[in-house]
Amino acid sequence: MSGFFRRIYDWLLRMFWATEMDVTMIGLQNAGKTSLLRVLAGGEFTYDSIPTVGFNMKRVQKGHVTLKCWDLGGQPRFRSMWERYCRGVSAIVFIVDSADTSSLPIAKDELHSLLQKPMLNGIPLLVLGNKSDLPDKIGVDELIEAMDLKEITNREVSCYAISAKEETNLDAVLQWLIGRAKK
Amino acid sequence: MRYSKKDEDADQAIFKVDRSSVFQEARLFNTSPISPRRCRILLTKITYLLHTGERFPTSEATSLFFGITKLFQHRDAALRQMVYLVIKELADTAEDVIMVTSSVMKDVAGSGGRGAGEQEVYRANAIRALCRIIDGTTVQAIERLLKTAIVDKTPSVSSAALVSSYHLLPTARDVVRRWANETQEAVLSGSKSSGFSLGFGSSASSTPQGSGMTQYHAIGLLYQMRAHDRMALVKMVQQFSSGNVKNPAAVVMLVRLAAKLADEDPGLRKPMYTLLDGWLRHKAEMVNFEAAKAICELKDVTDAEVAPAIHALQLYLTSPRAVAKFTAIRILHNFASIRPAAVNVCNIDIETLISNTNRSIATFAITTLLKTGNEGSVDRLMGKTSAIMADITDEFKITIVEAIRTLCLKFPSKQAGMLSFLSGILRDEGGYEFKRAVVESMFDLIKFVPESREEALAHLCEFIEDCEFTKLAVRILHLLGTEGPKTSQPTKYIRYIYNRVVLENAVVRAAAVTALAKFGVASKDGKVDPEVKKSVVVLLTRCLDDPDDEVRDRAALNLRLIQEEEGEVAERFIKNESTFSLPIFEHQLVMYVTGDQSTFDAPFDISSIPIVTRAEADAEDRSLKLRSTTMPTLRAPTTPGVPRPSAAPSAAEAATSAAAAAQQHAQQLAAVPELKPYGPLLKSSREVELTEAETEYVVTAIKHIFKDHLVLQFNVKNTLTDTILEDVSMVATPADPEDEEQAPGLEEDFIIPVPKLATEEVGTIYVSFKRTGEESNYAITTFTNVLKFTLKEIDPSTGEPEDQGFEDEYQVEDLELTGGDYVVPSFAGSFGNIWEQVGAAGSEVTETFSLGTGVKGIQEACEALSQSLSLQPLEGSDVVVNTATHNLKLFGKTISGGRVVAQIKMAYSSKTGVALKITARAEEEGVAEMIIGSVA
Ligand SMILES: Nc1nc2c(ncn2[C@@H]2O[C@H](COP(=O)(O)OP(=O)(O)O)[C@@H](O)[C@H]2O)c(=O)[nH]1
Ligand SMILES: [Mg+2]
Repeated sequence: MSGFFRRIYDWLLRMFWATEMDVTMIGLQNAGKTSLLRVLAGGEFTYDSIPTVGFNMKRVQKGHVTLKCWDLGGQPRFRSMWERYCRGVSAIVFIVDSADTSSLPIAKDELHSLLQKPMLNGIPLLVLGNKSDLPDKIGVDELIEAMDLKEITNREVSCYAISAKEETNLDAVLQWLIGRAKK
Repeated sequence: MRYSKKDEDADQAIFKVDRSSVFQEARLFNTSPISPRRCRILLTKITYLLHTGERFPTSEATSLFFGITKLFQHRDAALRQMVYLVIKELADTAEDVIMVTSSVMKDVAGSGGRGAGEQEVYRANAIRALCRIIDGTTVQAIERLLKTAIVDKTPSVSSAALVSSYHLLPTARDVVRRWANETQEAVLSGSKSSGFSLGFGSSASSTPQGSGMTQYHAIGLLYQMRAHDRMALVKMVQQFSSGNVKNPAAVVMLVRLAAKLADEDPGLRKPMYTLLDGWLRHKAEMVNFEAAKAICELKDVTDAEVAPAIHALQLYLTSPRAVAKFTAIRILHNFASIRPAAVNVCNIDIETLISNTNRSIATFAITTLLKTGNEGSVDRLMGKTSAIMADITDEFKITIVEAIRTLCLKFPSKQAGMLSFLSGILRDEGGYEFKRAVVESMFDLIKFVPESREEALAHLCEFIEDCEFTKLAVRILHLLGTEGPKTSQPTKYIRYIYNRVVLENAVVRAAAVTALAKFGVASKDGKVDPEVKKSVVVLLTRCLDDPDDEVRDRAALNLRLIQEEEGEVAERFIKNESTFSLPIFEHQLVMYVTGDQSTFDAPFDISSIPIVTRAEADAEDRSLKLRSTTMPTLRAPTTPGVPRPSAAPSAAEAATSAAAAAQQHAQQLAAVPELKPYGPLLKSSREVELTEAETEYVVTAIKHIFKDHLVLQFNVKNTLTDTILEDVSMVATPADPEDEEQAPGLEEDFIIPVPKLATEEVGTIYVSFKRTGEESNYAITTFTNVLKFTLKEIDPSTGEPEDQGFEDEYQVEDLELTGGDYVVPSFAGSFGNIWEQVGAAGSEVTETFSLGTGVKGIQEACEALSQSLSLQPLEGSDVVVNTATHNLKLFGKTISGGRVVAQIKMAYSSKTGVALKITARAEEEGVAEMIIGSVA
């Protein structure tokens, strides 16, 4: 296809098919948010990921849908900023390190206090237990229990176990996200 | 940036921007999908507001900031660049700007996944923004990024990284200093980019790309990194001056650095001068100018050193380009203020510039000539000056008036011509600043050139008849009040002053009342002319009906004082002949208000401020006026916290600091109980060094004279590491007299030793002598000085001094006590009168000397002589006009108040140096000999 027609085609595609959606990825530091996003965007998994200072934005293309992913820093100083980036998005992805049970109570508290915010009412939530490749991980049911997900009623909630490293279950994640697209 | 008229109009048309509507529009940032074009326009409006001085309140700035972070989802390069420009500006007001750190770092690293060409657009902006949002604790996280960016091959990126590091340095000195190698590399690779521009003309149009500007930034950063390490700076200047730095701005920076080093360390003067001299022939003219300026500003620059610089500037005087001519003449003009003789050689070229159509050049040409010219050329120059006065601006007129004002002091004999010039332009149209300059010049004439007094006062009287500036009228009235009564016909002025009372506004009327009163108390020879007094009383009585409170109050007070039986009260309040020493007063007040809270516990003590007579204040004032050369300098910035090592202060500073030093000495000595009974301190010498600055024990001495005592103050510094000195005292022995007749007349009274002196501590020893001599009580002698102490080493394991020390001695240089130590410089309007009066009353001694070739010229001799004799130069004779022969006129008073005058005729030849013939006259016996003795 010549450049001109290619552009026309792209344009048509965008007009009638293409959808953009905003997704915010939050969770405590070291849960694997940045790693997951890198892998979703087609990058290599690395061990020496440096902590995110602020946010990190990447686009993930899946078919005619573009996911605009906002990966936020998980350190305490950034948690108060999560809400700003969750407003009006199509989905919130909350990631926990399923091999670090000691961090679960704090993760639970942070998640629940965020969901109290009226501005975020109704936004679908996906909780991901990452690092399922590690031996001492907990399963999905235990995670639902530990995170008290049954308590959340005013929105759609799902929970998967995944591994960014082994790329386990990532297709399910993408499918779920695309399913939340507004169009 | 250029704002033509048209641009301004266009600005208005496109941008009807105000803060609140822009803030409303900012919702645009949160919409999806994003329109890069519309966002860019909105960002431009924000930048426009910020750059025109608008400030967003913190909450607005923060919400704008978070809106803008949403734009990171779009990859448009131009949009990203705008985003960075705005973030950089908002960084100081918005909260939580740290949020964009990771995103910016990605762009700086160039890992945004875009083509290199596209990233080039905004990488530099990303770096500059990054350094604004980062804080001291997170600098480490961006260390690797910045190090890489510094050596980036794209000049804009490298420059941005260098400049950002420069800004980060104060907050994260230790981290940034680790980047020295990269910075060094940036200097050297900066020279590879070709096509740098020469001179001022073309530099504006050249792009940063390939201009070599990174060299400038890199050198600036290196300098800041090494500012505390002089040897490293020297190495840097030498390394980069060998031709590998091409960018002219970078070389200019090296010039300034070299000049600073030469200034701070005498040992570096020679090598640095050689570099400066070389830069006079650099191919960029801005480098030539900077080098010439630096050489002219070198401390005590010699004629030989400055000649090549003057020559280089002279060549530019005939340059076809106005800007080059202007720069050259401006530097010469400044230098002519301190060393007119050295600029003489350019006079022919400068003459041709007088008629230059560029008035700025013409003005500088004239004022330079006024400084360099000799007495003979003054009248001719004044003629030319009058011709151009009509069509120059007030600003230049002021420059000219200032030059003439200095000239009046230098050539008092030419006062008539200058006075008529000044009174002429006083009648011209002009603003306040200009009129003030003229009036002040006339004030100086009146104060310092007595022959001009009556005529100048007459001109001023005429001026206030029609003066639109209240402030000037008030000052002139005050002057009429102080000077008028001393003239031959005081009544003449009374009429002028009273006219003001009738015709002027309240402020002027009040000033006129005070001035009038002065005529009522004072007059010639201390007697009050009853006629004058009577008419003043009549006039003041009329003022009691004035509608203004202040005027009536002043009239009433003064009437009361004048009619007082005891003349003394009126003398004190109305004539008010002495005043507080203002420089000290100011200094003390500043110390008081800047002190910590506890200083306010006690009220400010005004009695600690010395009171000086008007004559003394004038003396100080005059030497300041004559010497201070307002040289705007752009030296390498001095880093705060590193005091310049004992740099000799400028003459102007010296004058004010002399008074402050005396004050400080008096205070310090008053704190020593043993010295209390000695009475007031009469005179303190300058601080004399008795050792080299690098010896184990650094010793300086100050001689203090009291009525019956001499106190030697020795300041001792222990520079030996890991030692402590105990019981430190000084054995100061006056030289044995050759015969009994000349016994020094000093008896040792006591020594106050220093109990303990640790490494790098300074202690003060006082050695006191009773001055036993009869009659002329001025002992002259030489002290040999031996420092005695017990030295103990510090045990490195405990940090405590060892128990057992050993006694040691250390001989320092001898200290001379000379005639000058008993004399205080003092000012008088006319040398001739005093010369005659003292000659009639006392004795005269004449002697001839040769100072040898060690003294380089008459100017230096003048300064050295007035300092060692401790006498005040009169009638501008401290300014040397003719370098071959000169007549220096000096005046002072001994500590007991006897007057001393001296005339020194000097001749200079390069072969034999300065030869002089001194004639000294003194009222007290033996003092003339003593004074001459202190030259030898
Ligand atoms: N074993 C394992 N390690 C992971 C996985 N995902 C992330 N990590 C590691 O966990 C650490 C933190 O990851 P990061 O993405 O920076 O976490 P973030 O703070 O949530 O962004 C890194 O050392 C990653 O290599 C995973 O699925 N399995
Ligand atoms: Mg992260």
